[in-house]
Amino acid sequence: MSFTLRGRLETRLATSLAPLVVGSALALGLREWWPVELAAIMVGAGLALDLTVYHRFLPYQPGWIAFPLGLLELGVVMGIVFAVGVRAPLGAAVLLFVGAWLLGQALVHAAFPLAQLSYGEDGGELGSAGPAAVTAVVALLAGAGGIAWATQPPTVHLAAGIHQGPLVIDHSEKLVGEPGAVVRGGIIVTSDDVTIRNVAVTGGEIGIKIDGAENVTVEHVRISGTSLDGIQARRASVKIRDCLIYSPVGEYSQGIDISFGFDLAPSLVDGCTILGGREGIVTHFAQVMISSNNVSGTTLRALGLTEMSMVMVEGNQVENSLGVGIYCGDFSECEIKDNVVGGTRPDVASGDLTRLGYALVAHSGAKAEVSGNVLSRNENASKAFLGGRITPG
Amino acid sequence: MSGAQRCAIVGGGLAGLISYATLRHGGFASSEIAVFGTDADPAAEWRQRAAAIRQQRMRSESSGHCAPTSFPGLAVRAAARTRNPLPLVQTVFDRFHPTVDEFLEHAAEVRERSGWDESFRPRRIRQVRAVDEGFELDGEGRFAHVLLAPGHPGLAFPDGVGRDARVVHAYQAHDYADRVEIVGAGMAAATEWLNALAAGAEVVSVRRREPERRPLNLPRELFTRRGLAAFHRTSRDERVGFLRRWSAPSYPHGRGWDEPVENARRAGRFRVAAELNGGEQIICATGFRRGFGHDALLAQLVADNELETAEGWIVLTPDSTVPGLTDETRTLSLAGVPGQWAFPAADTLMGAKYAARRFLRRVQTCRSR
Repeated sequence: MSFTLRGRLETRLATSLAPLVVGSALALGLREWWPVELAAIMVGAGLALDLTVYHRFLPYQPGWIAFPLGLLELGVVMGIVFAVGVRAPLGAAVLLFVGAWLLGQALVHAAFPLAQLSYGEDGGELGSAGPAAVTAVVALLAGAGGIAWATQPPTVHLAAGIHQGPLVIDHSEKLVGEPGAVVRGGIIVTSDDVTIRNVAVTGGEIGIKIDGAENVTVEHVRISGTSLDGIQARRASVKIRDCLIYSPVGEYSQGIDISFGFDLAPSLVDGCTILGGREGIVTHFAQVMISSNNVSGTTLRALGLTEMSMVMVEGNQVENSLGVGIYCGDFSECEIKDNVVGGTRPDVASGDLTRLGYALVAHSGAKAEVSGNVLSRNENASKAFLGGRITPG
Repeated sequence: MSGAQRCAIVGGGLAGLISYATLRHGGFASSEIAVFGTDADPAAEWRQRAAAIRQQRMRSESSGHCAPTSFPGLAVRAAARTRNPLPLVQTVFDRFHPTVDEFLEHAAEVRERSGWDESFRPRRIRQVRAVDEGFELDGEGRFAHVLLAPGHPGLAFPDGVGRDARVVHAYQAHDYADRVEIVGAGMAAATEWLNALAAGAEVVSVRRREPERRPLNLPRELFTRRGLAAFHRTSRDERVGFLRRWSAPSYPHGRGWDEPVENARRAGRFRVAAELNGGEQIICATGFRRGFGHDALLAQLVADNELETAEGWIVLTPDSTVPGLTDETRTLSLAGVPGQWAFPAADTLMGAKYAARRFLRRVQTCRSR
């Protein structure tokens, strides 16, 4: 078939109607936005390809080329989905795409030619149905966008000055601090879809406690003077970016502890600086990506990845730890790459032979896959104990 | 309006059948349409020509059929009939060409299903006279909307070829002598090369230019608005030039065409010559006469109404209607080869559909409807 540009666009939009409706219905049923976001990305990517590639390079489009073009569009759509962070399950997203593609083929090759005799000769133009399809798609997307905007979590601005905690966030919201906003005594999050940004927290046992909540984002926070954990996430899925945790006051204090959320969406700790404390970043039975952090001056270990955690440790800088730099223990699986670990000191006083200043340790059946790490000025480089394994990645 | 019947189709061939089926699909009753032709079988003439050149397969693809809707095409029908997906796979790669028998069977089915015989009137119309809000058809009454599908205006023979016993046109029944000269370089000529070689003849291809090789009569874009939009924007002279260029003979690519010829060439049984040179038999695969002037009905129509023409073509609007004789109350449309000014591949099945669908659209929206 030889599409005109108008024919391509009208056909694209008309075939997009059903996926958009299905996406909207799924969104309503699942109470998730990803089906609509995915459908919108499918429409947008398709239109962009129509305008920039297909019309120019395909004056005639034989039937067979629909398959490679479909694969191309699937790749583009999934690339955008990952790039912009749409939380679509891979299988469901591919299924929705494939369903929409098959429906599109049926419409283009059978339904449209039946409904409009000259569909093929008109280069895919749909006559009066074309503008109607455009209107319907725009109305659907505008409606979904309007609802999305209207149901956005409210933003609560925390004024400059000291606010006595603990602040309890038990519904979806964005807590955004003005410059100079400080919470004394901690913040407790118990609701999904919460964002905390630009806040300083001081004092209390736990700086920010996230309990049983998903899709929580913590960005640009400064936490100091806590006696237990700077940030503690229990049965939670959290993204922590660009934080500073320092001056812990307790003997057992930890920077960030993410635990017991193995079955939830993976968590992320990225770009944080943690100074001092017993442990810097700790995981128990969790899936976590730990990247581009600076951890220094810990007294037990800088990174402790334990209890069957599955952790990716990449691009971190670990400095001046006592005993152990990076510890992968208790049947955890750790991929450790491109980190810099330096100045790890032996903990002679503990009498523990596994703490003699090792940059990397795999312990108790844990498996550490290592590559590209720079280990310097450590008392010892790396060692596996009690069935632990360290293998090159 | 008073006294005028609804629609008439002048021409009882395949273009007429397609137009009739399209009108019926558009909601017209058989009693509202009159079809004038000389043979009740709309495929009769085409069948004779195909048989004459022993054509086995269609050059057209799945969409080259007579039904009013593009879907289902002949590939889908073949797959459904044979319970074999191969035709579907072939059509996805533009490789499905139905057999002539399949096509004729399909044409017969369309004839039966559309009720063609109920509307058919065995009568050759020799004159179409424009009258108030319609057209008078040679004593058959007045019709508001008329589609003329007169077909090709006779077989073309090359200049200078005498009509002696050695000369036969490819589209006339014939056998093959031991030494055959075949004039022409299009699909019929290529078919005849293979036929004559298969019959054991020695073949001389008489042609003055190398044939073009393409899957269909014209580039594919010219079958849709994408290519047609540019075609319709051309000036009169440009369009004449385009139509002349595109009417150059061509036949498809493929080993099925090339291998037998190449083998025969190596064996000394096939060669190309620029001129005739006394062969036992001269087969003129030179197609049809060109231009409205060779068709008495069209020539008279042009003369009576002082219609605009460009060399051999009647100037038409892009919807294949005759300007000046088409308005809010009446429609005169040309289908088949005389419709080339609107659709360069008008003499194909797709071309017949193009004219028929636009005729239907006009008739449906016409105030007199």
